[in-house]
Amino acid sequence: MWNANQAQPDHVARLIARYRTLENAADELIDEKGALRPVWNKLLQALGAMSETERSERFLRGQQYLRDAGVFYRSHGATDASERDWPLSHMPVLIQENEWKVIGAGLIQRAELLERVVADLYGDNNLVANGHLPAAVVAENPEWLRPLVGVKPRSGHFLHYLAFDIGRGPKGQWWVISDRSQAPSGAGFALENRIATARIYSDLFTRNNVHRLAGFFRSFRDHLQSLRGESQSRVGILTPGQMNDSYFEHAYIARYLGFMLLEGEDLTVRDDQLMVRTVEGLKPIHILWRRLDAASVDPLELDEKSRLGTAGLLGTVRSGNLALINALGSGVVEARAFLAFLPRICEALTGQPLVLPNVATWWCGQAKERRYVKDNLHRMIIGNAQATRSLFDLDDIAALGGEFNKTISQTIEAWVDQNASSLVGQEAVTLSTTPTFEGDTLVARPMSLRMFLARTANGWQVMPGGFARIGTSTSTSALALQNGGSTADVWIVSDHPVAPDTMLNTSAIHYSRQQPAMLPSRAADNLFWLGRYVERAEFIIRLLRAYHARLAETGTNDTPLLKLLGKFLESNGTELTRILPSNLSVVLGSASAAASQIRDRFSLDGWRALNDLSKTVLQMSKTAKPGDDMVRAMSVLLRKLSGLSGLVHENMYRFTGWRFFGIGRALERAMSEAELIAAFADKGAPEGSLDLAVEVADSTMSHRSRFAIETNRATVIDLLVLDPLNPRAIMFQLNDIRTHIEFLPVSDIAGKLSPLQRIVLQIHTKLAVHTPDNLTTEALHKLADELASLSNKLATDYLA
Amino acid sequence: MPLNVPGEQRLNAGSHFISPKADVWMEREDFFGNRCVELSFLQAHQKIDFSLKARVQRTALYQTLKPAINLVKLAEEIDANHSLDAWAPHHFLVASARVPLDLPTTTYAKMLAEPSADVLAIVIAIGRQLYHDMKYDPKSTTVDTPPIVAFNARRGVCQDFSHIMIACLRGVGIPAAYVSGFLCTTPPPGKPRLEGADAMHAWVRAWCGADIGWIEYDPTNGIFADLDHIVVARGRDYSDVAPIKGVMRSYGKHSTRQSLDVVPIVGDAEL
Repeated sequence: MWNANQAQPDHVARLIARYRTLENAADELIDEKGALRPVWNKLLQALGAMSETERSERFLRGQQYLRDAGVFYRSHGATDASERDWPLSHMPVLIQENEWKVIGAGLIQRAELLERVVADLYGDNNLVANGHLPAAVVAENPEWLRPLVGVKPRSGHFLHYLAFDIGRGPKGQWWVISDRSQAPSGAGFALENRIATARIYSDLFTRNNVHRLAGFFRSFRDHLQSLRGESQSRVGILTPGQMNDSYFEHAYIARYLGFMLLEGEDLTVRDDQLMVRTVEGLKPIHILWRRLDAASVDPLELDEKSRLGTAGLLGTVRSGNLALINALGSGVVEARAFLAFLPRICEALTGQPLVLPNVATWWCGQAKERRYVKDNLHRMIIGNAQATRSLFDLDDIAALGGEFNKTISQTIEAWVDQNASSLVGQEAVTLSTTPTFEGDTLVARPMSLRMFLARTANGWQVMPGGFARIGTSTSTSALALQNGGSTADVWIVSDHPVAPDTMLNTSAIHYSRQQPAMLPSRAADNLFWLGRYVERAEFIIRLLRAYHARLAETGTNDTPLLKLLGKFLESNGTELTRILPSNLSVVLGSASAAASQIRDRFSLDGWRALNDLSKTVLQMSKTAKPGDDMVRAMSVLLRKLSGLSGLVHENMYRFTGWRFFGIGRALERAMSEAELIAAFADKGAPEGSLDLAVEVADSTMSHRSRFAIETNRATVIDLLVLDPLNPRAIMFQLNDIRTHIEFLPVSDIAGKLSPLQRIVLQIHTKLAVHTPDNLTTEALHKLADELASLSNKLATDYLA
Repeated sequence: MPLNVPGEQRLNAGSHFISPKADVWMEREDFFGNRCVELSFLQAHQKIDFSLKARVQRTALYQTLKPAINLVKLAEEIDANHSLDAWAPHHFLVASARVPLDLPTTTYAKMLAEPSADVLAIVIAIGRQLYHDMKYDPKSTTVDTPPIVAFNARRGVCQDFSHIMIACLRGVGIPAAYVSGFLCTTPPPGKPRLEGADAMHAWVRAWCGADIGWIEYDPTNGIFADLDHIVVARGRDYSDVAPIKGVMRSYGKHSTRQSLDVVPIVGDAEL
């Protein structure tokens, strides 16, 4: 037990006044003699010197960053999946550089060992033949993928990117708790934790000589690019999609490293080669950093129920045309049972013991080991031998310290005997504690670290940082981290200043490396629909504003004009049963859904603006009152919406994706206006209809300056349909669409119009020769239909 | 395509007929040595026909089987086996994609499996008991019915019979595999017609120790697999050996139809 150290200056002593280390557990802040570990000194001094207000302001800055960046964690509950706030502990975990080097050396040894083990399991199988590994441990492993036996990886290596969960035992030594070799997650979150924590401690960061993370990612990016060989194809990140709990991280890493974010739907196989469906047709891809489990990648040869995969992908791996990072089947060594054999395998293969031991593990498929487990139930965790999740995540039947975690009508001994080969016993590990803020002072909480290793041109490289999981209670059993808790940045602190390093440095140096941009059809499709939904939302808002402005004037909705407008809104799916119709939320929700699928291509500001809009609508729907109040509310929404449009228009790079967004907006606007004018410029439309059309089309001012007379059918149609200079006119949209389409990739021979161009030109020409007189209501409906067919043509040519 | 099994079955001739012509045609062998043809159709189509013609010579019979070892000895032999070859027993001992090891099947099997009893006798006892207790009923299950549902109803087709028997055998520690194949059903004069004739048939393969090795038992008919059983593919369960699997994008309704003829060629063994 240790209490606030009196030798500390007052302000530091105050900070750690409630800090209590635990018996039989090491602590990161206080060493075994009760002294403050020097590595924390500067940070504690600085924190102590801050006022309480300053500290909370700084913490808020970190939280604000995470919220703005949209960092979330998707948790899958019993009934639905929801996004949770990211639980950042504001106190980083500090590790002294020399200690980190020892850990790193141990993990590199382990990475090399795992590579040899995986290569053997998919190759000669000597480990089994020589009795180092029981055949059952492999044969019963769901991640030992039989279709990949005998397949050599194109890159020459199975493993390129690994994570390890480690914890510090009571005597100060580090233990490996689990190996993550399938598709380890967390590095993106480590980066986000770092950025948020750097916001909190912006000034302290440099003074503390903290190692930067960018170099690690840069080396790994260069490694992946070097694997392409001759091919100039891009590197892709294969994600299970936005319903995955780490999707945010996938999008983040893709954006950070400049890789394409791909889903199984984006890919197809042609002539033994994996291809990306892009708006320019099929493009080959040779390197995929996969972030989904192997079984899901190919429904043909692996999990036939998978809807995330690409049929035939495995064949391209077998032909050596595709390298997956990590290789399919690498997850085999994640199984807990391997922890029982790796120490001996290491000695057998290398003649050296493991530098970092792993949690002591006994496989119950062996008689002697089973006996030992049964004799030592009180200090064992017994669980599924093939489970790949770490000890923290025991979710199936397990016995902890001699008691089942579920109701079982059997003794533990009988259960162990009956399920022998499918069970392991593991020593119940004790974790160290680390400081975290509770209120305004620091308390000790258990933690484990996730460390990341990447293969680079210079061999394995260890990320100088990581991702800490921190428990909520003082229980130091590894299981305490199971439910919730928080995460923290990990600082590797040097005694000497470290060079600043960011990803930006290199993009300047390697400017010539710019890769050909490829736009997957699915991303183009989402951008197109984002454009359409944003425009549709604007149209609904303008209609609602016009409706309530008139309601406020007349006090009744029982006028011919409002009846027509009500019917028009309804025919567009906007029922007026509620004051703020739910359809507006639905349309904005669809816009967010489209945007969420292209998080790697849509700016953070745009994303924020869109979310803000949805939140405002939700708020307003609770309070909105008919008439003036709704007019004001809709005006607020229009301003926010033009903020979003402004962001996109002013800031979005003019790549092909932007063109699809633009086409979506222009097309939706043209279609809406055609219907609007058909309804409100009809000869039989009630009085005031023409003015309403002009108002909804936001052209009242233009009308006044262009025509010195009141609205009549001819002026309205001229201004809203035929005028090429009015950005609200249909003709203007068609010109816009024509320009965008000229920039789209065309597969035709130069000089010839693409089929899509031909259709647009036809619509355009037909409209151009019209006069306001002969542009009847019927002709306008027909125009709307032709525009809809344009949308379909675009979809079949570019988005399928 | 029927397998070549040295000493048991010889494939004398065989070809696939696919219409329309596939854009990609690749042949390979899977982990368990089964022959697979991988096809891609890039164009939209209304209809695809897959057909197979083969001439197969079936030669082996289980005539005199030596007594086998008991379950305890079997477990020791399995432990001592340091191999992951396709037909190493370890692949066939635990639950697989379509065969979970449920308590009811394990309990059922344990009543028929004294640890001291001969493994071969246990295989036969379990097979016979299932044949006796289960009713062949094509209407009761589909290709995706879990074995335990069919077992609880005591009804099913050859796939269910085989999956249930595999679960029973694995439940008592006997390695068990799934065999997909054809059954020649022309009844000899005066003999009853064998069921399972108009679709592909399935039966069970069990490992009875290193000495006897693998034997094949047909629980749907309560007999050892015999000259009438033509082996096409073998694996852990149906999902390893489904005759056709793949991914199809479609709209509207679709339907499938299968048919099968097995015609004995008598006295023409040299073909």
